[in-house]
Amino acid sequence: AFAGNDKKKTEMHFTTQLLTFFPAPPPPPPPPPFVYFPGEIVVNEANFVRKCINTENNQDDLWGKLICTNFKVSFIPNDDPHKRLSHKLLGEHDIPLTCLEQVVTVNDTKGKKKVLGSNQKLKFNPTELILYCKDLRILRFCFNEAGPESARKVCLAIGHYSHPADLQLLFGFEYQGRRYHEFKGERVNGYPQRTGLRTPFFDRSSDWDREIKRTSASEWRVCSINEDYIISPSLPEFIVVPVSMADQDLKQYSLYFTDMRVPLWCWNHHNGSALVRMASVVDPLTQRKTDQKIFTAITRSHPHRSEVLKSELDKCLPNILEIQNAFIKIRQICTLDPFEESEERWLSTIENSRWLEFVRAFLKQSAEIVYYLDGKNVSVIIQEEEDRDLNCVVSSLVQLMLDPHYRSLIGFQSLVQKEWVMAGHRFLDRCNHLKKNDKEESPLFVLFLDCVWQMMNQYPAAFEFTEAYLTVLSDSMWIPLFSTFLFSSSKQREFAKNKAIPSAEDPTLYFPSVWEWSLQYSTKDQTLFNNPMYVGKGAACVQNGEVKSFSRTKQKSFSSTLRGSATSLRNGLRGGEDTLPRRGSLMSELKPDFSPAKDESPSERYFKEWFSRPADLHGLLIPVLMPSHMALWKLFFLRWVPEACISKGGPITAYHKLSQLVDEIEILRSQLRQYKGASPASTPLKGQRGRPSEQRNMYFRAYSPDEPQTPPDYLTSSFPFNPAGNLCRRYVYGTPISKFLNGARIWLSTETLANDTV
Amino acid sequence: IDVNRDTYESIFNCLTIKRYIPTQDVTYFCPFTGALRGTVIITNYRLFFKCTDSEFVLDLPLGVVSRVEKIGSASSRGDVSYGLVCKDMRNLRFSHKLMEDTLRKSIFEVLMKFAFPVSNGLQIFAFEYGQVFPENGWKVYDAVSEYRRQGIPNESWRITKVNDHYEMCDTYPCTLAVPVNIPDEELKRVSAFRAKGRIPVLSWIHPESQATVTRCSQPMVGVNGKRSKEDEKYLQAIMDANAQSHKLFIFDARPSVNAAANKMKGGGFESEDAYQNAELVFLDIHNIHVMRESLRKLKDVVYPNIEDSRWLSNLESTHWLEHIKLILAGALRIADKVESGKTSVVVHCSDGWDRTAQLTSLSMLMLDSYYRTIRGFEVLLEKEWLSFGHRFQLRIGHGDKNHTDADRSPVFIQFIDCVWQLTRQFPAAFEFNEYFLVTILDHLYSCLFGTFLCNSEQQRLKEDVPKRAVSLWSYINSQLEEFSNPLYVNYSNHVLFPVVSLRHLELWVGYYIRWNPRMRPQEPIHLRSKELLAKRAELQKRVDELQRDVTNRSASSSSDRAGSPTRSITPVQTFV
Repeated sequence: AFAGNDKKKTEMHFTTQLLTFFPAPPPPPPPPPFVYFPGEIVVNEANFVRKCINTENNQDDLWGKLICTNFKVSFIPNDDPHKRLSHKLLGEHDIPLTCLEQVVTVNDTKGKKKVLGSNQKLKFNPTELILYCKDLRILRFCFNEAGPESARKVCLAIGHYSHPADLQLLFGFEYQGRRYHEFKGERVNGYPQRTGLRTPFFDRSSDWDREIKRTSASEWRVCSINEDYIISPSLPEFIVVPVSMADQDLKQYSLYFTDMRVPLWCWNHHNGSALVRMASVVDPLTQRKTDQKIFTAITRSHPHRSEVLKSELDKCLPNILEIQNAFIKIRQICTLDPFEESEERWLSTIENSRWLEFVRAFLKQSAEIVYYLDGKNVSVIIQEEEDRDLNCVVSSLVQLMLDPHYRSLIGFQSLVQKEWVMAGHRFLDRCNHLKKNDKEESPLFVLFLDCVWQMMNQYPAAFEFTEAYLTVLSDSMWIPLFSTFLFSSSKQREFAKNKAIPSAEDPTLYFPSVWEWSLQYSTKDQTLFNNPMYVGKGAACVQNGEVKSFSRTKQKSFSSTLRGSATSLRNGLRGGEDTLPRRGSLMSELKPDFSPAKDESPSERYFKEWFSRPADLHGLLIPVLMPSHMALWKLFFLRWVPEACISKGGPITAYHKLSQLVDEIEILRSQLRQYKGASPASTPLKGQRGRPSEQRNMYFRAYSPDEPQTPPDYLTSSFPFNPAGNLCRRYVYGTPISKFLNGARIWLSTETLANDTV
Repeated sequence: IDVNRDTYESIFNCLTIKRYIPTQDVTYFCPFTGALRGTVIITNYRLFFKCTDSEFVLDLPLGVVSRVEKIGSASSRGDVSYGLVCKDMRNLRFSHKLMEDTLRKSIFEVLMKFAFPVSNGLQIFAFEYGQVFPENGWKVYDAVSEYRRQGIPNESWRITKVNDHYEMCDTYPCTLAVPVNIPDEELKRVSAFRAKGRIPVLSWIHPESQATVTRCSQPMVGVNGKRSKEDEKYLQAIMDANAQSHKLFIFDARPSVNAAANKMKGGGFESEDAYQNAELVFLDIHNIHVMRESLRKLKDVVYPNIEDSRWLSNLESTHWLEHIKLILAGALRIADKVESGKTSVVVHCSDGWDRTAQLTSLSMLMLDSYYRTIRGFEVLLEKEWLSFGHRFQLRIGHGDKNHTDADRSPVFIQFIDCVWQLTRQFPAAFEFNEYFLVTILDHLYSCLFGTFLCNSEQQRLKEDVPKRAVSLWSYINSQLEEFSNPLYVNYSNHVLFPVVSLRHLELWVGYYIRWNPRMRPQEPIHLRSKELLAKRAELQKRVDELQRDVTNRSASSSSDRAGSPTRSITPVQTFV
């Protein structure tokens, strides 16, 4: 059934749910039957449940059936005019159980409230169920009309099944096993067929070999001492080490390190410096000796035999607990705090969460390491107690800044694969999929994605992918099907395969990776990942020599006088450091004895010089690190907040326009190609517009002659997401002002609400 | 460095610029790089500093200078220092060796003289600037044709010449649009009841609903609650001109406390008893003094450097964004009343030339996509700001050394900031780019153009500004390419409803922090999109050429293939 539905959904948009906005929706199609996946079973369900769309009134609420399966919580509205799935695995009202942060039942009349876990009892009949989700949604269901018993049962079921006692109870195990048997025939050589470019998984030595070659790291080799995980349970089977280190030595050194994690090569600069990550040394007594040996080997692998710098990240970056607390706070501010009331102190509240401060700290630390690798030409070791958290963030950020390859889609995925999945980031614990140990939960991967977004925000043409891609990637963490986010190490991932098969006949069972986007989105929807502005090697639209380089249009200047005044814009172009005290009167700022001489650190000078040149998007990219340039990632944090949703606006309108432009360029290109081999007889046919639609790269297609008068309604700052019903906040269909007045009490004294509902 | 090498030499080519004392061995204390040695040249238009050891130049129109200070010669080395406080968010400091006392005096005096020509009985440089541009910016705005564009006169509104010689109101333009059934004589009586004679007149009319935005000053109610039958009848006429609604909204931009306090000075606000069917709303926007103080605090926070910690709370403590929010919120309420409520609105503050101008122009920008084009925006400024008497001379203090003047206030900067906020929320809705807005603000101070001189239309006419000075729009319209936004999509029917929340309002770093060299000119999206537009244009051209080629060949090769299409390719729309 699943396979059959697939085809139909391919043509559907990511965004059809946004049809909500249209004044007259088409007549509703009969509600489609509930789709079960192989292995999915209904645990409990309740009828006559109301899903709250709006806190103020319930006229927009949806009536339907609430279902709890072993995979998800599903709500099937009785008549939902826009009930069409775009996500291939989840419907508009579905939440995977792993996505649930907290399950809260409420009894209004008794004023009771209980947070549900596994195997719990409920002493009151719930009138409401509130689901707090890890993707920042908050959903509310009311049971006024549902039977008290069935309401209670479905709540308990959701509470119970969202707290699995064991990893193997996660739905992925059920699903993969079944699916495997259904789709066995489709695979070749034990691996599934992947179309197009393949993301290297770094689970085999050939992937590492290619990476060594790509970065010209000739003094490094692939080492297989950890095959079958005999040395370290958390390292991958294949690692890269200095050629001067023999397997025998490595085995010996491994004893000194936490979790037997020998140092791992990450990346080589073309100047020969290497980035290496390392866990801490267990016994302080052997620390110096071990360091010495490692340093020597790394130095030997450097063409100039230059020194090695060790950066201890535990000492200069926030720990996982602080990061988790910051995230909880900023989530609270963005999604829970009342909108209008939090306006007045919005900026300082955001500051107090410390989230942006941490984002900046990680970017800053990474830039510092970039300085050593690139500016000082020395190899750098980043060290962290376990080498499985902070190191993941910093090593990937450093590589993202230094190597444009990682700013392509495939490159980025391989980076995550290499520095997170294979290096053994403990996704299972950090995501807290089993809800066993809250102290282990920490959104490091989200923090990393936010850092990437900050760079993308500053250099919009440098990345092949979009912020929608980053957001969707973060959401995928909460779907318990992808091996990427289910496990804490390669070993665990490997061993899990065996457990998933009901009858273990084939040891090479395949768990899908999140990079198989076609499992989640249609080809068309995946084009939302493509950045029309991307300037890269493989970029479709530029850099193939057809257009001369576009330098900044030289200003037509009508007089030197004018030019002068225009250029005065750029006073003090040369970079620099704080030399004047900021506060105080003019007189104190301009003290006569003021000495401008300032000790400028070499790294400051290095950054200053870099910033004084125009940025090369194919080369090194350093983000501006001033606090004023750290922005809140609005799509991620505010996408569900109806009050914050700009209708017919937001960055998507620029994306829309640029995509259409690039699509036109693609069409023209293909017309040109057709002409090139064209004889009069093979004149291109009328109306033929470029490649067939499934091969087009852009989500938004070139204009048709009958261009609309207004921007399409689905273009909002939340696109491709829809806030309606996802935050159980007041959702406004009326005039903008009624939205504005919500909570704005200062005006209510002079004007009644009634006057506003025109 | 943006300045071409030849600038230094060519600066003085323009005949109108007089060159004054070049001074060697001057130190410029760059707050970012430290001390730089070089030469200073001061002309009647600018201060020019060229560094001896590097490419660095500093080119400052003297109009930007708000205050010049000698900083005592306390230094043992005998240096003398000058501090310049600028209107565009920076402070500069120079010093040089005190070799002869006369030299020091002369630099200081020359600066004091040419930075403040008005105080010294000299002409503002704009009157000497003789550049000729292909476009004539003074022709951009013509009140009658702008009203005609809006469909005025129509059956409810007429154009009156009652103020033709500025007799009724000397701060209003000569062309006004008023309700049809109020004769000129009555207008004069209404003007007696409105502060400075600024009666309610039409700013904008909705093309479909006929709901209008009208502007005026406060009614002269006073402590005794005076009424004016003519004024009441007049507002009734404004309401009646819109058949769609039996209500009229009066938006008073001030906080209600301030509005009440104005009664002591004879002003006040409309009582709902006197004006039937009218509803009065206060928009809580603070006065020019509060805004000036807020911007001063902002300068403290952003210049020269931003502290590493507490950036957001420091920004919050300036309240700048909060003020921006209140202004935008007011404009949004007006736009919503007119668009969604189909109700006419009257907007005023005390005199109706500061907050009122902000509110009417912003709401018109939201309501009418014409004002989002470059020309439309110029018309909007000419109309709502310049012709309706925003007192630019007083608020900016062109060429006036009295930097503590309480009449100075960043009202117009605030408005441009609000426009920038709108362009951030609707990046494809404006024909102009950020550089256009920055350029307007730069020439607000530079005194190079006549556009922002004087306080009213009458004064500009008296000073003969259009004859004697160049319009900023001449410069801008002669190189539109520089100022246009390649992302612009000309949706004809798009009313902007921004989200007026601190979640979306941002500090305009491209303006307020632009002096910081670490604020690199970002790789701008619009540059990249210009490349794409050029690429498309080129491909289109090549496809067209090939198309012609093929058509010709096929026409000559076989005459019997009559059905051969002359244009077989769907043209892709090109609008580079």
